[in-house]
Amino acid sequence: MIDIRDLKLQFDNVKVLDGVTMKIPNNMIYVIMGPSGSGKSTILRVLNRLVELYKPKIEGEVYLDGQDIFKMPLTLLRRRVQMVFQIPNPIPTLSIWENVALGPKLNGLAKSKAELKERVRWALAKAQLWDEVKNRLDAPAASLSGGQQQRLCIARALAFKPEVLLMDEPTANLDPVNTAKIEELMLELKKEMTIVLVTHYPPQAARVGDWVAFLYGGKIVEEGPVKEVFTRPRHELTEKYVTGKI
Amino acid sequence: MIQVLFYAGALLAGLLLSALTAALLGDPALGDLHLSYVLYVVTVAAVALGAAGPRVLKNSLSIAAAVAGVLGGAALVYIFLAQVLYVGTAMAVKHGGLAFLWNIPPTPADETGGIGPALLGTLYMTAIGAFFGFLIGFPAGIYLGEFRRELAAKVARIGVNVLVEFPTITIGLLVYALFSLLGMRAFSGYAGALALTIIMIPYVALFTAAAYASIAPAVREAAYAVTGSLYKTLFIVMRKVVARAVLVAFLLGTAKIAGETAPLLFTAFGNDYYTSEIFGVDLGEPTGALTLLIYYMAQTPYTVQNEVAWGAAAVLLWIILAVFAVARLLQRSA
Amino acid sequence: MIKGLLASLSLVPLAIVALLITLFIAESWPAWEKYGLSLITTADWDPVRESYGILPAIVGTLVISALAVTIAAFLAISFVAVSYEFLPPRAAVVLGTTMDLVAAVPTVVFGLWGLFVLAPIMQAAQEILWRDLGWLSYNGVGPFAVEPRGGTTVLTAALLLAIMITPFAASVIREGYAAVPKEVVEAIHSITSRRWEIVRLKLAYIRQYVFSGLVLALGRAFGETVAVAMVVGGNFVNVIRALTEPGVNVSALIALQFPNAHAYVYMVPTLFAAALLLAVIGFAINATAVYFLLRR
Repeated sequence: MIDIRDLKLQFDNVKVLDGVTMKIPNNMIYVIMGPSGSGKSTILRVLNRLVELYKPKIEGEVYLDGQDIFKMPLTLLRRRVQMVFQIPNPIPTLSIWENVALGPKLNGLAKSKAELKERVRWALAKAQLWDEVKNRLDAPAASLSGGQQQRLCIARALAFKPEVLLMDEPTANLDPVNTAKIEELMLELKKEMTIVLVTHYPPQAARVGDWVAFLYGGKIVEEGPVKEVFTRPRHELTEKYVTGKI
Repeated sequence: MIQVLFYAGALLAGLLLSALTAALLGDPALGDLHLSYVLYVVTVAAVALGAAGPRVLKNSLSIAAAVAGVLGGAALVYIFLAQVLYVGTAMAVKHGGLAFLWNIPPTPADETGGIGPALLGTLYMTAIGAFFGFLIGFPAGIYLGEFRRELAAKVARIGVNVLVEFPTITIGLLVYALFSLLGMRAFSGYAGALALTIIMIPYVALFTAAAYASIAPAVREAAYAVTGSLYKTLFIVMRKVVARAVLVAFLLGTAKIAGETAPLLFTAFGNDYYTSEIFGVDLGEPTGALTLLIYYMAQTPYTVQNEVAWGAAAVLLWIILAVFAVARLLQRSA
Repeated sequence: MIKGLLASLSLVPLAIVALLITLFIAESWPAWEKYGLSLITTADWDPVRESYGILPAIVGTLVISALAVTIAAFLAISFVAVSYEFLPPRAAVVLGTTMDLVAAVPTVVFGLWGLFVLAPIMQAAQEILWRDLGWLSYNGVGPFAVEPRGGTTVLTAALLLAIMITPFAASVIREGYAAVPKEVVEAIHSITSRRWEIVRLKLAYIRQYVFSGLVLALGRAFGETVAVAMVVGGNFVNVIRALTEPGVNVSALIALQFPNAHAYVYMVPTLFAAALLLAVIGFAINATAVYFLLRR
């Protein structure tokens, strides 16, 4: 379970998160929504501490299963919390196999060559890409289509067998067919891990989400079960967003 | 593949560094155990573990190797620059101070000498080479940059790219062969200036092309709209936009040809005397240059000439550093 | 009209290249006629008997360039990685400016320093290398197998050259490294947080920049004349058996032998043949560099 307490974050003097408190239980798809600039992607990047690349000022606490993530060794955190990005970003010059195998290999997650092979196969199968690539694992990742590349990135994340999967608008650049595939995947995966999904697209949240939190100006303005919030929004900002006015 | 090169290079550099360190310290040894052995073992172990060891060691040792490489390289470079400037300037002062700049170079029998004819030769030939090189290279660059989609531009660009990277000694040989063919006297300042021109042309052309190509589409359209004539658009309106970049290119190109030696070996050839009453140096005769002087006088067995070579190197380096600094300032204030 | 004028001027370099190749072929023809391929496959330099074979120079060029580029690869990659990942921005700028400075220094000044400062120290260092590692040899051929008799050897030339060409490789690699897109950086960071692994993955991403930069450096190494001529020792007759021997490369051969070439009948054409070789190989190397850069 992820426990965020009064998280405040600013870059230089711009406040991006202004006191966010969230509890994300296990094995569910937790959706974060809001207009551009509301801080949604930033929250995701706090959860795997990727945001530290950009040198922000952070106050507040974040716990993963009771452990303070800021005190945890970064390598451990990144093993448990993985991320899928908006633009598919495999390393194009490496092969399909290498893209998935690199994480476990570098982090010592597979004790033998056989174990590694099995882990890569498992991840690709789980990401529903195995059948399409099993005969060309050595092909460069750049040779895949957009939708395939995104599934490759999901496989890369899954190869860590993470507890939490952060997804930052993962289908924003994909066609409807691939989007449907990935949404189906999310519903499968939530049985084994917790998914935190940022999406710009209310219908997607309605299709896959269990719980939704609305972010506006760096604060949560409303949250609750997806069906409830979408059909009976309490906050006027939520209503405007859901109906497409902001 | 990149990894292989990195670690192989680290190994070589490490071995060299070990031997150099041992040499500098006088080859110390404890009985039969030489310092150099110890250093080799350290190097080989560090590189092997950095390449293929356990993860923690791989990371820290590779980083250590990279840092050592940067420190070692930077140290060598700074020592090099400091030595040339310090020792060279001291030599120039020793051999006449300011007069070093106009005295004639020493023969083996002389006690002292200067770099006068060579300095003049460099100044004249560089000036001519830079001027004509720019005269041809600048318009050529405009064409390559503005009209780069045309077939002629694509073909021309190949020629420019090839020429700019040719070993400069071949340029010198080209001018030599050309002059011989035309029955003209082979060794002269004009031949040297021609060789420098040929080197300058593609250099300026490429920079100019890049500058013109990087003009924002909106600005380009405005330029074309403001005047009716192509000439005015390219040479007046756009020129103002790219002026700074082109000036930088001119300065850097000039510095480059001022420092060239190989193309002058068989063209200007070298001359230790003033050959003209009015201009100091007659470019129709074999002409000296700072770079040629350094090249010849460094390799003679006579100390006085070696010392003058050091002095000349310092003078040349100061000039080039000055031009480089001006070019940098211009780039920064963009 | 203006455009036509500009176009013709832009074709001048191409014309010069064509002229150069033609003249060189013409000037070297007598040598090709007389010696044929043995000009480049045998090792000989006997002006009196008019017998020439530039194999020593060719081998020298290959060996010196390979060594120099390997060391330069290490230095250039180290420089880019350390600048971007481990140094505060101001120090990185100083380092960058130093590199640009090195690229601007005339090669003859490097040669001067190499001859008077580097060579003497390298003499002592090479004696140590010969004493310690000279046994690494087969049939008398090995990296340090021959007793060094002075500091002006192939090894010294390679080291000096490495310092001179590193900035060229580094500036191309630096350009690629700085341009790694944000998404890829984030992807890399989510796979690993260890600094050197991040460097390796970024380098893998900009693979074509790295190769292009190294090939560029190789091109410069091939064509470098005076610095090499001043420190390489001038061994025209034999192919080197060790790095600690004096040697020669093709451009130094031309520089060192041309002054007395007119006394002989076939030396001038031979040297032009060598120059032709240089021009053609230089062209091939740079075509490769451009190819790598454009491959994606």
